[in-house]
Amino acid sequence: MKTKTFWRCLAFAVTALFLAAACEDSDNVSPVIDLEEPADGDTLRIGAGVHFEMDLSDNEALKSYRVAFHDNFDGHGHDSRADEETISFTYDRSWDVSGKKSTHVHHHDIIIAANATPGPYHMEVYCTDASGNEAYLVRDVVLSHEGGEDDDED
Amino acid sequence: MVVGFFPTACACLLAVSPVADGGCDTTGSVRLEGVVVRGATSGSGRSLALPVEVAGRGFLREFFTGDLSRTLGRVAGVRSMDIGSGFAKPVIRGMGFNRVVVSENGIKQEGQQWGADHGLEIDAFGVERVTVVKGPVSLLYGSDAMGGAVEISRGLPPAKEGIYGEVAMMAKSVNGTLGGSVMVGAKRGSWFTRFRYSERHFGDYRVPTDTIVYLTRRLPIHGRALKNTAGAERDAEGHVEYLSGGYHGWLAASNAYQKVGFFPGAHGIPDASRLTDDGNRWNVEMPYSVVNHLKLSTRQQLARWGALFSWDAGYQGNRREEWSLFHTHYGGQQPPERFPDRELSFFLETLSSSASARWGTEGREWTVGWDAQGQWNRVGGYAFLLPDYDRWTTGLFALFTFRVGERFSASGGARYDRGRVSVAASEDVYLADYLRGRGYDEAEIEYYRWRAYGARRHFGDVSASFGAEWRVDERQSLRINAGRGFRLPGAHELASNGVHHGAFRHEQGDPSLSSERGWQLDLSYTREGAGFSFSFSPFCSFFRNYIYLIPTGEWSVLPHAGQIYRYAGARVVFAGAELSLGMDLPGGFRYHFTGEYVYTRNRDARVPLSFSPPASARNVLSWGGARFRCHAEWQCTATQRQVARNEDPTPGANLFHAGATGTLSLGGARAEVTLSLQNLLGTRYHNHLSFYRKVEIPEPGCDIQMVIRVSF
Repeated sequence: MKTKTFWRCLAFAVTALFLAAACEDSDNVSPVIDLEEPADGDTLRIGAGVHFEMDLSDNEALKSYRVAFHDNFDGHGHDSRADEETISFTYDRSWDVSGKKSTHVHHHDIIIAANATPGPYHMEVYCTDASGNEAYLVRDVVLSHEGGEDDDED
Repeated sequence: MVVGFFPTACACLLAVSPVADGGCDTTGSVRLEGVVVRGATSGSGRSLALPVEVAGRGFLREFFTGDLSRTLGRVAGVRSMDIGSGFAKPVIRGMGFNRVVVSENGIKQEGQQWGADHGLEIDAFGVERVTVVKGPVSLLYGSDAMGGAVEISRGLPPAKEGIYGEVAMMAKSVNGTLGGSVMVGAKRGSWFTRFRYSERHFGDYRVPTDTIVYLTRRLPIHGRALKNTAGAERDAEGHVEYLSGGYHGWLAASNAYQKVGFFPGAHGIPDASRLTDDGNRWNVEMPYSVVNHLKLSTRQQLARWGALFSWDAGYQGNRREEWSLFHTHYGGQQPPERFPDRELSFFLETLSSSASARWGTEGREWTVGWDAQGQWNRVGGYAFLLPDYDRWTTGLFALFTFRVGERFSASGGARYDRGRVSVAASEDVYLADYLRGRGYDEAEIEYYRWRAYGARRHFGDVSASFGAEWRVDERQSLRINAGRGFRLPGAHELASNGVHHGAFRHEQGDPSLSSERGWQLDLSYTREGAGFSFSFSPFCSFFRNYIYLIPTGEWSVLPHAGQIYRYAGARVVFAGAELSLGMDLPGGFRYHFTGEYVYTRNRDARVPLSFSPPASARNVLSWGGARFRCHAEWQCTATQRQVARNEDPTPGANLFHAGATGTLSLGGARAEVTLSLQNLLGTRYHNHLSFYRKVEIPEPGCDIQMVIRVSF
C-alpha cells in the first residue's frame, strides 16, 4: 500500500517535470555569415576601399554585424611593428541590419588608411541576431601597396 | 528538440526501474553507497536528508585517474569538467564552479573557482574518502554550496603503533603520464604524523583525429597529439595529530602546484602556423596556466559536558597565473618590466574559522555553530579581467535531528549569513588612448576607461533545509528534503570586465547584482536486499536570481571580442534524477547500472543553460573477490541538444572501458596493481563539459593506465 502511494507520487513528479519541459524554446539558432569577399589570403590595397560582400541570414531576425581588422605581425600576438611613418592598422565598425531575415551586404565603406603598415592582418566578422545568437569568422588578409583589387572594380 | 528528448530520457530511466524488483545488489568493486551519514562525524554535521554518495578507499583506488574530479565523474549525479587530459573540476547535477563547495578536512577550498582552466588543486594520491552531497548545502557551508558539496576527509589514524608508508607509481599512455607518490607515517601513543609528496608529469595528449575545424578553418593536429597540452603537478602535505581522552586536534600544511599548457589553437584566433609540431611532447610553452595553492589548517575538538566542541581554522594562499607572450592592441602599452609575459595573475588569500557545538540525547541532537571568512584578492599582469577585491562573510547556524520511533527521523536547520564585498576601481589608460585614436568621443571614453567601478556591497541571506526519512521496512527507505540555498555574487560576477582568453569573449560583471537564491526539492528512494540494490533520486530546483553570463547583443569596444556577455540574474529551473541499480549474477559476476539526467532552463530567456550535462548511463559488469577484481564497462552519453545561446550541441557517444586490480602480499608489505583501459576502441567523441569543446577538439583516444601501490 505504502509502496503504491510512493509510485503514484513518483508518477506525478515525472509528469510535472515532463510538462515543465514541454514549454517551447525561444530562438537559439545562430545567424549564418556567408562571406564572399574578401577571401582567405586575399591581398588588400592600402589607401583603397575594401570590396566587402557577404550574405547574412537568420532563422528569425538579424540584428547587427561588425567588421574588425588588426595586425597579425608575429603570427601569434599583436606586437606593434609600426615604424615612424606607418602605424598598425586597426578598424572596428558595426552596421545595423535589424528586422531582416536575410540580407546581401555589398559595400566599399572599409577604407584602409594610407599610413597602414603593410603585412599580415586578421579580419574578423561578427553577426548577431535579435536574440543575442552570434556567428563569428576570421579571414587572413595581407595589406599591401601593390596588388589587391581596385575599389572601382565593381 | 528539447521537448522530444526529455520524455525519451525519462522513459529510459523508468524503463530500467522494473528490473529493480528482480532482486540485486551494488557491484562490490563499485561501492557507491547511497546512504545518509547521520551526524556521526564532526565538522560538516551531515544531518540532512539529502542524497549522499560515499566514495571510499576501494573505489578511489580502482578508478584512480590521477585527478580526483575525473574519478568522481563516475558517481551518479557528478560529472567532470575536463581541461584536456590532465585536470578537471567537478559538476554536481549541472552546477559547477562557485556553486560546488569542495572541502578538505573541514576547510572550504578557496581558489579562483570561477575559472574553467585549472583543476581542483588537491592531491588525488592522498585522498582516502570522499562524500558527495547533492543538493543545496549552504546551510552547512554558507554561500556557494548551491549545487552540492564534495567533502574530502582524512581516514582515522591506524590502530597499530609504528611506522608505515606507501609508494605509488602511475603511468598513462594517452598523454604519457608518469607520476608517483611517497607517504610515510608514524604513530606513537596519542601522537600520529604523516607526510606525503606526489608528483605527476604528462605530455601532450593524443586525440583520434588529424584535423579539427574551428571557425570555418581546418587546423592540422600534427602526430595526432594536441600541441602544448602537457603539464605537471607537484603536491606536498604533512600533518600532526593528537588524540587522547576527549581531545582530538591536528595541524596540517599542504601545497599543490599545477602547471598546464593551453592548446595554442584555442587561445586567440586559430592560426595553423602556431600548431606546427615543436618535436617535444613534454614541454609547456606559452600560453600556459599555473596555480599554486598553499593551505595551513588546524582542528581542535573537545568532548566534554555531554557535548562536542569543534573549531576549524585555516589559511589559504591561492596564486593563479596565465602566461602568454606579451601582446597588446594598444600602441602605448609597453611590456611590464617584471614578468613581461604574465597576462593575468590573481592572488587570493583566505582566512577561515568555523566553530560548532553539538549535544543531544538518543533520538534528539542539536548543533549550533558560527563561521567566518575573510578574503583578499590582488591582481596583476598586463591584461585585465578582474579588479582587486576584499570579501567578508560570517554566518550563524542551528541544526537538529529528531528520531521518532524506529522508522522515522526528521532533520533540518536554519542559517543566517552576512557578507560584504569591496571591489577596487580600476582604470585602463591604454584603452582610453586606443578609443581616442579610434575616434570615440570623450563621454564614451570616460565611460569605458574604467574597467571596474569601485563598489562596496552588503548582503544578508537565510538558508534553511528540512527533511525526513522514513524507513518503510528493513529493505526500503524513502527520504524527502526541501532546502533553500543562497550564494553571494562572486567578485567576477560583480566586477569582471575584459576578454578572457580561456573564454575568448568579453565578460562583464554587474555591481548591482543581488544574491542568488534557490529552492530545491529532493526525493530519494533506496531498496537494499541480498545481492540487490536500487536507488532513485529525482530532484527539482527553482532559482529566482540564478546568475550567469547572458549575451547582451551590445558590441564590445574591446578588440577581439564580439558582443558583451554580462552577468545577470534569471529565473531558472533545474530538474533531473539519478538511478542506480546493482545485482549479483550467477558465476560470481555482478552488474551495476547508473544513469542520470539533468534538465535546465532559463525561464526568462526560454533557453537551456550552458554546460548542461547530457543524459548518460554506465553499465558495469564485474567479477572477482578480495585478491583480484576486473570489470568491463559500457558508457553511453546521449546527444546534448539542450544548449544555451552560442553553445553548440554535442553528439552522444558509446565508450567501452575495462579494468583489473590484483593484490599481492609480500611479507609485511602489500602490493596492488591496477590496470585500466579507457576508450578501448579509440572512439572520437566530444565532452559537452570540456574546456576544449568549443574549439571542436575531441576527447582523448584509447588510454592504458597502470597504477602500482606498495604499502607497508
